[in-house]
Amino acid sequence: MNNDKKIGVYVCHCGTNISHTVAVDEVVAHAKTLPDVEVAREYKYMCSEPGQELIKKDISEQGLNRVVVASCSPLMHEGTFRKTCESAGLNRFLFQMANIREHCSWVHNDKADATKKAKHLVGAAVGRVGFHKPMELREAPVRPETLVVGAGIAGIEAALRIADSGKTVYLVEKEPSIGGHMAQFDKTFPTLDCAACILTPKMGMVAQHPNIKLFSYSEVEAVSGYVGNFKVKVRRKARYVNEKKCTGCGECTSVCPVQTRSQFEENLSFRKAIYRSFPQAVPNTFLIDKKGRAPCRAACPAGVHTQGYIALIADKKYTEAAELLRKDMPLPSVCGRVCYHPCEDKCERANLDDSIAICALKRFVADWALNQKIEVKPLPVIKKEKVAVVGSGPAGLACANELIRRGYCVDVFEAAEKAGGMLRYGIPAYRLPEEVLDKELAYLQNIGIGIHTNQKVASVESLKSKGYSAVFLSLGAQGGMQLKISGDTSRGVIDALEFLRSVKSGSLKQCKGTVVIIGGGNSAMDAARTALRLGAKEVKVIYRRSRAEMPAHDLEIEEAVKEGVTFEYLAAPTKIVSKDGQVRSLICQRMKLGEPDASGRRKPIAIEGTEFETPAEMMVTAIGQVPLLEKMAPSLKMTPSGWIETDPITLETTEQGVFAGGDVVTGPSTVVDAFAAGKRAAESIDRYLAGSDMRLGRDQLPSVAGAPDISKTPLAKRAEPARLDDATSKASFAEVISTLTEAQAITEAKRCLACGVCSECLECLMKCEAAAIDHNQLDEIVEVNVGTVVIATGFESFNARKMARYGYGKLKNVLTALEFERLSHASGPTGGEILTVDGKTPQSVAIIHCVGSRDENHQLSCSRVCCMYSLKFAHLVKEKTGAEVYNLYIDMRTPGKGYEEFYRRLLSEDVHFIRGKCSEITDLAETPKEKGKLFVHCEDTLLGVKRRIPVDMVILATALKASSTAPEIAKQFSLSCVQDGFFLEKHPKLAPVEVATDGIYLAGACQGPKDIPDSVAQGAAAAACALSLMDRGKVIIEPITSHIDAKLCSGCQVCVQSCPYEAIVYRAEENRSEVIEELCKGCGTCVAGCPSGAANQNHFERNQIYAELEGVLKRHTAKIGVKQSSGFGSDQKGKQTQPTYQDQAL
Amino acid sequence: MNDQIFVEKSKTEFEPTIIAFLCNWCSYTGADLAGTSRMKYEPHVRVIRVMCSGRVEPAFVLKAFAEGADGVLICGCHPGDCHYHSGNYKTLRRYHLLTKYLEQMGIQKDRFQLSWVSASEGRLFADVVNTMTHVLRKLGPSPIRENIRNLA
Repeated sequence: MNNDKKIGVYVCHCGTNISHTVAVDEVVAHAKTLPDVEVAREYKYMCSEPGQELIKKDISEQGLNRVVVASCSPLMHEGTFRKTCESAGLNRFLFQMANIREHCSWVHNDKADATKKAKHLVGAAVGRVGFHKPMELREAPVRPETLVVGAGIAGIEAALRIADSGKTVYLVEKEPSIGGHMAQFDKTFPTLDCAACILTPKMGMVAQHPNIKLFSYSEVEAVSGYVGNFKVKVRRKARYVNEKKCTGCGECTSVCPVQTRSQFEENLSFRKAIYRSFPQAVPNTFLIDKKGRAPCRAACPAGVHTQGYIALIADKKYTEAAELLRKDMPLPSVCGRVCYHPCEDKCERANLDDSIAICALKRFVADWALNQKIEVKPLPVIKKEKVAVVGSGPAGLACANELIRRGYCVDVFEAAEKAGGMLRYGIPAYRLPEEVLDKELAYLQNIGIGIHTNQKVASVESLKSKGYSAVFLSLGAQGGMQLKISGDTSRGVIDALEFLRSVKSGSLKQCKGTVVIIGGGNSAMDAARTALRLGAKEVKVIYRRSRAEMPAHDLEIEEAVKEGVTFEYLAAPTKIVSKDGQVRSLICQRMKLGEPDASGRRKPIAIEGTEFETPAEMMVTAIGQVPLLEKMAPSLKMTPSGWIETDPITLETTEQGVFAGGDVVTGPSTVVDAFAAGKRAAESIDRYLAGSDMRLGRDQLPSVAGAPDISKTPLAKRAEPARLDDATSKASFAEVISTLTEAQAITEAKRCLACGVCSECLECLMKCEAAAIDHNQLDEIVEVNVGTVVIATGFESFNARKMARYGYGKLKNVLTALEFERLSHASGPTGGEILTVDGKTPQSVAIIHCVGSRDENHQLSCSRVCCMYSLKFAHLVKEKTGAEVYNLYIDMRTPGKGYEEFYRRLLSEDVHFIRGKCSEITDLAETPKEKGKLFVHCEDTLLGVKRRIPVDMVILATALKASSTAPEIAKQFSLSCVQDGFFLEKHPKLAPVEVATDGIYLAGACQGPKDIPDSVAQGAAAAACALSLMDRGKVIIEPITSHIDAKLCSGCQVCVQSCPYEAIVYRAEENRSEVIEELCKGCGTCVAGCPSGAANQNHFERNQIYAELEGVLKRHTAKIGVKQSSGFGSDQKGKQTQPTYQDQAL
Repeated sequence: MNDQIFVEKSKTEFEPTIIAFLCNWCSYTGADLAGTSRMKYEPHVRVIRVMCSGRVEPAFVLKAFAEGADGVLICGCHPGDCHYHSGNYKTLRRYHLLTKYLEQMGIQKDRFQLSWVSASEGRLFADVVNTMTHVLRKLGPSPIRENIRNLA
């Protein structure tokens, strides 16, 4: 085959582009000396018609069977010359190009060097082409569907054009409405027609077009496949409003309590959490802005809708707020008093000033509701099963509250005389007055919960025989732990729970002398403060670790200290000294802290010989609680320490249909934890009775909203409720801390940053008549198959904060271009009036051109549209306010149809044009008269004077920058970006809408800054490109795939792992791998990885690359027996040739 | 900086030959951009186009040195930007392995380089070539060249 090679070499001058630096005649002369070269010629423009004819003529007349063209980049004209060969009857792959323009003549100065390089490159091409093989192109069908990404004006134009031709278009837009930036604009230059008037009809056409499937509020998730058959996954973000059901009536917004800044209005005005971007939005469906669960709610063990009731309080909707609370917990007034509010620890506002007083707000609204004289009706019972709850503490009541709201008949059994469990007997009245508990219990009874006191339940069996289908055990931990030291049976030694219970029941009314409390938990603090109120002379708390390890809540300890309780840390009693059976004193021992124990706290170790005596008339032990349990069912399993054993997720016990929760399972814990356990058990009981999966979806954590933007939030002080002074407080059992006043509560509620945006108060759900709202909606992934893709993802506005000297974000009345568009828009925040922040009409306005563009520190390129829109702004300001307008420009750029005319018109409208870049904007007044003005500093470079212009408003003509989503889109669609982030087109002049990847087209400002007419033109052009491919119905694919020589393959499967397309399969029965040609994209990675040389790539074969290497590195002065070889290793014939080396050119 | 290097060279100096394997999508286009932008760089680089830098077999590099190259450069898309998803990651792994092998064969580490050059980084390509030329000039001719000369 090698013997009859006839190669033609054609060297192009490219006008003078090549011949200016490369001696073309020398290259031609050199080519003639190369082996197998039959003919070598030069021509001015090889790509021209006569140039191509030259090649064709030689092929037919001279019988050439290989062709080399040395000219520009193959990325430019390889296709052209391949066609030339083909039309002359030569297989298109028997052609090679040498790039002597982009890689040679344009990048080198020295003619000798460049000529030498050109010779080498031609030599390499000649060497390589000798090994080329004829190949046939592959064809693949092209699906008649298009994906358009981005629905601004360019995307809309492309979608409509393609859809009109009868093809299906999937239009994906990440925002809730289509329209892009143009929907925000007021007027358009230079005709000054209203943007909405020309855009909204097109948006409507998109909505109604039968061939357009619109995915708004959606983003491309993943792309696979190739030209003609792309598989695209689209994530449809949850709107929480059903698009098909929503009628767009807007009633929901009237009840939504959450105000948040409107992004569509450039944060100049507020919208509700349920919203649509603007009234003409397409689709005209509302959506709910949910950033995730608010951190406070996520921190609440009981999952209370904290942000929801706070938002409702701010809106003065107390009834609704209280109802929302009561759905979540049985005793909100109680909780508002005794909860240790883990929610407040997670409050994001703490990062700004102080956390919201969430607990106090809860108490306010729950108390408000308790004091309303409204008749409460029992909730309807709709389920046939009855549920029994044993124990009326917080866990039991939470379970009952949840179940009755789900339609069950619930009875609560309480052994004591009154309901409430620990809340009644364990918490002193100065923290929780009994009447509050009684009122809340009455409410629970009124909604239908049966509370039966003085009813000790002997066994679960007895309840089941009474017809209860499920039982919840919430018996609490009622027993105090014993100290077990000598003398502990003396009179005056009492355990804390017994002590508090006796005080509550009235059997203990007085304390004398010194009372010593042993222990450091909340019960110890309660006992200490109670003893003080009973008249004890001194109350001393003895705790065996230090303050840092104390389990009592900090607030409780602080209160105790304030009231005069003294503390003895690192001490423990060893003996109780009594006289006549009555406690007289305690012998204690000093302790030190050792290594951390199982609880993570440092273990106390006794120090020998440090005993001391402390007098005590009474000793209260508060060192832990134990359950007082009798076995209630034969198979009920207990832990060794006596707690009931349950499943941590479902709270099922080992007894069928019996659930347990609260202190009886976990040991002493907080009220809100008990509420959480009760609610969890209720969910389990509901599932158990319905026969559904007990675990499905229960161990998933909800996503939590991130930190909100606090940059525009002013500081505000946290509301503090009124409280008794310390002297008064310790003298009686009156409640120490009061409820917030209404005014305090509203102000406090308004401090909430609404982290989750939507507070999930569920008011909209109740208001929506179309039942379109679904707060549990999930994102949906849709997969579409398309033949072509149009990318129209637009631009972003330059962040003016980056140019601190213009004061944007710091100085009032410094606006960005988009903010001005909204300000001037008839449906904007001011209804189209141009007003300063103070609501005044500005007397003078400066417009600063080139903010962020044409600036080496930011973006070097010109944004193309800023001069024109600045002229438009000048006109609008002049027209609407009559103010003095100053345009500060660097160069005035008005290249477009009718643009220069518009500039001239503005020149005659008394607008000041100052040629000079603004150096600084300040608010530093020099005279009292100047106060409140902004000062624009610049140099008028035409007059050569510095200027300081006082104005009322400044508009920054911000640059157009690449969208922040561009890198992600580029990755998904294998696009390249230019330096400033815009997508790179295939050719800057001849293929401005195509990209390197076939079947993908660019439209609009994602390719570079553009005005509306250019974006529309490019949208239509991209549509035309997509349509021409889809109408042809097939695409030509280069056959540059890999293949594996079955005889050489060892079956190691390195190639299988290296293929990113799963195009290689391993045939186990034959112990070899095989390339599936249809899937292979021709990267050649597998070939390079193949250790046995079995894999090879068409047109990038090993011997072809070797020949190219030899060509550039070996010297080719003459046809002196240097046989074309691919000597290294895998010669086609397996023959190794000694590398010949003549060191003369190097 | 690299322009300076380019300017400083003198005609009498040793001129190293560099073989540059460029991937079709990013780096070859980037080199084309250097051309269309008329960025001048050292003339002793010879470009070989492959579809992906992942196609560059270790044997190509060895062959280049065996044939007398003073340096070999591989350029591919930036990590994460590969037109074929992950070819450049394979290149990176092979590069590190091969560097060790070459050093054992007496070919200094600096003679073999890997650079990520995107389609928009014409300037970077020119800089990479200039810097490498500068480095190789200091290193002198490839030892393999000398050996082959002695063998002949």
